[in-house]
Amino acid sequence: MTVSNASVTPLAGRAAPDRRTSASRPGTRTKTSEDSLRSRDKSGYLFVAPFAVATGLFLVVPTLYGLWMSFTNQSLTGTGSEFIGFANYAEAFSDPQVWQTLGNTVWFTILSTIPLVLVALVMAVLVHTGLPGQWVWRMSFFAPYLLTSAVVWHLSNWMFQPDIGLLDTWIKGLGLQPLGWLTDENVAMFSIAGVTVWWTVGFNFLLYLAALQGIPAQQYEAATIDGAGGWRRLFSITLPQLRPITGVILVLQLLASLKVFDQIYLLTMGGPNGSTRPILEYIYDTGFTNYRLGYASAISYVFFALILVFTLVRLLPTKKEA
Amino acid sequence: MTVLRGRGVPGQGSPVIASRTRSRAESSGGLSRRDLLRAALVGAGGVALGGTLAGCATPDAAGSGRTGVMIWDLFSGGDGALMQEMVGVVASANPDIAVESTTLAWGPPYYTKLAMASSGGKPPEAAVMHMSRLAGYAPGGLLEPFDLDKLAELGVGQEHFAPAVWEKAQFDGQLYALPLDTHPYIVFNNPTIVQEAGLATADGKLDLDALAGADNFLAAGRTLAEVTGETGVGWGYQRDPAGCWRMFWGLYSQNGGGYELTPGRPAALDEEAAAEVFEFLQAMVDGTVAAKNQDGNAASARFMAERTGMMFAGEWDLPMFREALPDVGATPFPAIFDTPANYADSHAFVLPRQEQADPAAREATYQVLAGLLKEGLTWASAGHIPAYQPIVEEPAYQELTPQRDYAAAAEVAVFDPDAWFTGGGSDFQVRMADAMTDTLAGEAPPRTAVTRMLSEMDRFLALPDPA
Repeated sequence: MTVSNASVTPLAGRAAPDRRTSASRPGTRTKTSEDSLRSRDKSGYLFVAPFAVATGLFLVVPTLYGLWMSFTNQSLTGTGSEFIGFANYAEAFSDPQVWQTLGNTVWFTILSTIPLVLVALVMAVLVHTGLPGQWVWRMSFFAPYLLTSAVVWHLSNWMFQPDIGLLDTWIKGLGLQPLGWLTDENVAMFSIAGVTVWWTVGFNFLLYLAALQGIPAQQYEAATIDGAGGWRRLFSITLPQLRPITGVILVLQLLASLKVFDQIYLLTMGGPNGSTRPILEYIYDTGFTNYRLGYASAISYVFFALILVFTLVRLLPTKKEA
Repeated sequence: MTVLRGRGVPGQGSPVIASRTRSRAESSGGLSRRDLLRAALVGAGGVALGGTLAGCATPDAAGSGRTGVMIWDLFSGGDGALMQEMVGVVASANPDIAVESTTLAWGPPYYTKLAMASSGGKPPEAAVMHMSRLAGYAPGGLLEPFDLDKLAELGVGQEHFAPAVWEKAQFDGQLYALPLDTHPYIVFNNPTIVQEAGLATADGKLDLDALAGADNFLAAGRTLAEVTGETGVGWGYQRDPAGCWRMFWGLYSQNGGGYELTPGRPAALDEEAAAEVFEFLQAMVDGTVAAKNQDGNAASARFMAERTGMMFAGEWDLPMFREALPDVGATPFPAIFDTPANYADSHAFVLPRQEQADPAAREATYQVLAGLLKEGLTWASAGHIPAYQPIVEEPAYQELTPQRDYAAAAEVAVFDPDAWFTGGGSDFQVRMADAMTDTLAGEAPPRTAVTRMLSEMDRFLALPDPA
């Protein structure tokens, strides 16, 4: 669902010329090639086959196998594949670690999603209203998104370094107490969310910018003629026109934030005192470090169900809008 | 999270590309697209197939008539190069064996890979493991015991190892691990600063007697801090679960603390002894004796920049420190409490269970492993104390400084508690460190750490043993 949603906007601008060229072609063309069209329909399956096989092998089969495992006491060491019914699920629902780490994941999602949408919007509007040197802004806002999590970890790890790090040095320069960026329970999640915003905001920025460029210029022209000022145009044209893309960005961002793992695993490993451990790390630790694959599968499925419910709820109003 | 985004991007681009390709193909008579795709498919298939085949082949054993022996190790630090050197020596001494050593990054993923390879039935012939992880591996049938007679033929036997280490390598009366070294958690020192602080013995070494006892140690730390103008002792505990655990467990053992970790029963520690350890650590991390809020990187950086006089670290950091401080000194862990004890772990070779054991490969594996043990002198230059005692007794080893100065640590080595979930690179160490960080940072009383550790231990004990 996310993919098809995402494909809507950037296309809008580019697909238009294509449509125009095909419309200008003679209409007879489609009739003569009707036969070949039909045979092409079949060859279509062939084209889809490699993807279908790969999806089947690497997505569908493992997903179903994971579901089966969640009903067994399968261990990574190869032992125990007996069917144990809903015992894993019962354990997951009564395991405080599941709820605590799920809470952390939700907390991170809240902390990261709001700025990731708002900051992206502000940056896109600023760039679009005509800051000089657009491409420089575009590039510098988007560039961090191209880094891998390992690079982001290295950079932020040294900046957050207690005592000798860049941030602590600045803070001490201001005469304030150094902060436990990654070592204080009350601060660590904010630090990680901050890094994440810096790292990934470029993607949302790009989506917003594309949508901004898709707003017809005539609307602004008409408004200007009617005497509307810059702020009026922003609130009456720009922001309302961005509502659909905001919906898309919000869903994409929520799903991306719920999947948080790498930057936390690299920066804090879930510490201090478990305050940043996301549910995916708990699943990873349970399955791969403590070898309890069956139980880890069960927790994954509980998490999966929650995301599914959330996505479906989000899907309902979208349909109405359309 | 990147994966989702990555998937989204091609999804956006592809329709445009597809429509463009179509119009071009129509105009040029639909020529090359199919051929191109077919060629690409064949090419991709070839690559995939080639990759798999290459992955299957055992180290150039195929065709050459030599027996292949694959060894996995976890020496991704400076000691990795030494292991390669030793493998090279052993390989040239055994021309009929093709030895291939693969170095994987240390940490929880290493043990995941090893367990998966073993349960998959196609593991390497031998692997390096921390002895502290043996309790999680041997009982589950992931490993095979060593044949003592075969080892004896190659000149390796019980009499060649320290009793504590040999004992730790046993399970169910059989030898499951062939110890390569003991690597204790020790204290490094900067001889110049130590001299200036008046903490050196007549021969210029750190005077351990002057550091004995918590009060003496803290006083010495303050003296060192006066000399450096910053801190006296380096210890990075933030975001270093292993460092926290090594320090705690070593000191707790010095304080005579025992433990009970029996599945199905509540965990038991000597809470008084544990709280005393944390009282001492809180007193040490006061901003003068040792820096507050410091992590491993910062502590090492400070020590190498001569801004601190001593440093708690594993002996494997020796090559790194020696680069910055050529005359760096090292001693066993100081006696803060009364019982002689020094936290240590041990690298050992193990034999992952083979689905179909190849006697020739097994024979060759024994030969290679025995050869590697006897190359222990090379290994010692990384800082590790060779487990194979004939090496330690060699005059050449006795000349290695500062290695010989802390070799005594192996005699009082204490290992991780025995349970399936403990050991180097385990989730257990991460959780224990988590439980103690608030206390170490001075934000919670010593008892809090003890209570939290006990409740985490209880959680582990309640889990079913996956093996």
